[in-house]
Amino acid sequence: MDFLSPEGLRLDGRRALELRQLQAEVGVVEKADGSATFEMGNTKVIAVVYGPREVQNRNQQQHDQALVRCEYSMASFSTGDRRRRGKGDRRATELSLVIRQTMEAAILTNLLPRSQIDIFVQVLQADGGTRACCINAATLALADAGIPMRDIIVSCAAGYLNSTPILDLNYLEDSGGGPDLTVALFPKLNKVSLLQMDSKIPIDVFEKVMSLASEGARTVAQFIKETLMENTTQLALAKGPPKF
Amino acid sequence: MVVGLSAAEKNYIAGGIAVDLRSDGRGRHHFREFSIDTSVVPQANGSARICLGGTDVVASVKAELSTPPSGRPNHGKMEINVECSPTAAPEFEGRGGEELSMDLSRALQRSFLGGASGAGAAIDLASLSIVEGKLCWMLYIDGLVLSSDGNLLDALSIAMKAALSNCGLPKVDIISGTSPEEEPDYELSGNPEEFSRLETSLVPVIVTLTKVGKHYIVDATAEEESQMTAAVSVAVNKKGSVCGLTKRGGTGLDTSVLLDMISVAKRVSQSLLSTVDSEILASETRHNEEL
Repeated sequence: MDFLSPEGLRLDGRRALELRQLQAEVGVVEKADGSATFEMGNTKVIAVVYGPREVQNRNQQQHDQALVRCEYSMASFSTGDRRRRGKGDRRATELSLVIRQTMEAAILTNLLPRSQIDIFVQVLQADGGTRACCINAATLALADAGIPMRDIIVSCAAGYLNSTPILDLNYLEDSGGGPDLTVALFPKLNKVSLLQMDSKIPIDVFEKVMSLASEGARTVAQFIKETLMENTTQLALAKGPPKF
Repeated sequence: MVVGLSAAEKNYIAGGIAVDLRSDGRGRHHFREFSIDTSVVPQANGSARICLGGTDVVASVKAELSTPPSGRPNHGKMEINVECSPTAAPEFEGRGGEELSMDLSRALQRSFLGGASGAGAAIDLASLSIVEGKLCWMLYIDGLVLSSDGNLLDALSIAMKAALSNCGLPKVDIISGTSPEEEPDYELSGNPEEFSRLETSLVPVIVTLTKVGKHYIVDATAEEESQMTAAVSVAVNKKGSVCGLTKRGGTGLDTSVLLDMISVAKRVSQSLLSTVDSEILASETRHNEEL
């Protein structure tokens, strides 16, 4: 199948190195401590953070750091053909673990001993790149909850189809059989926290795809920073002018 | 939902309800303001999201081709499911939300799906039939609770009503096989302009009356629900017919009180239905203008 037209356009009209349209909203669930939705094209995820709060299960309490937990779930209407997914299916369990580990690396857990932070991510629409989208949404929700972090963590996926590195795959491209590489990194610290890839590619191509994904993640970072800045400005305005 | 309230707060809620002035300024029989947004799930045939105060639910309708139920060759099928996302409350994590999800699903099924014969369903099931005895539409109606501040059942019923009226079924061209012996051969129309809408004017909404102390209120918040002794959910359609009834809560109700509650629910539902209809229309117009 041709994923790139002779003019260099992809199935959804993007160029090979183009991200999908990004959209984000912070503070979508009133009762939660932090929440955000993040959209990458047709992929839409809502992330909600409860905590830091008392540890629910006493024997999981850690005396020197916070306990971070994560649950990933998919709405039954999120995919093209309706499927009822159990909460405990393998994919969901793996993704919960991946997101938890990635976010745990970002949170300054040592500052919040004997507490618990719950991150819930719910996929509303799935169109490829849910992994990356979940991590981006979780970052925004954690920032909204005011949880101390080393740096924001951002994520983006890239692939290699028709001998061309391609950024931010959608579902059709994702199922195209090429490699799918997801990277999550700290933009300021310049460190990679998560790296996953399936299928195989030569090492020199890997480097290209990897740097493309990182470049994509940095663009996402810029967008997330702007979103947070705007949200904070709104909050400051709502509070009124400073009193001296 | 666990709401930690002090004795003073409990008193305040009960006292406010007794004098017909609730903590958010509403009277006993007033709904909170709500907004409806339709076509929120692009992959679905119809979808809607409703924000009712702090309660936020999404409903989607997906249509699939299926074979008619046994014994009713000229009917289509409907299925209702509700999921409570842990985003609404941390207690819903893992299997924690299952009990509530099941409770809500059952109440909605009772009000929307009609009896075992399919009579009294919210949508005329015969309108879902394509080839008698061979082919029909199966509607999967899914509800997802994203955020919860009381009155989930009413919000879900409104969202499902909106999603059903937003639902478009693609045109099916029958090429051959309409006679009873042959298997039908059909083609789904690829033209997005060719679709049919469902007749949704008689889809009910559910009004839940929550009894706190001596009085009962509509559209209770999570705090008010924590103080309830009993609740009655009544599904009412535009004609004023009661389509389903669910009573919850521990305390028994006097029959006269119950009948009184039903008549209040009927009255409240009529103004609610007209607000819902105008909100749905407003949202559809908004989308048409965007296109």
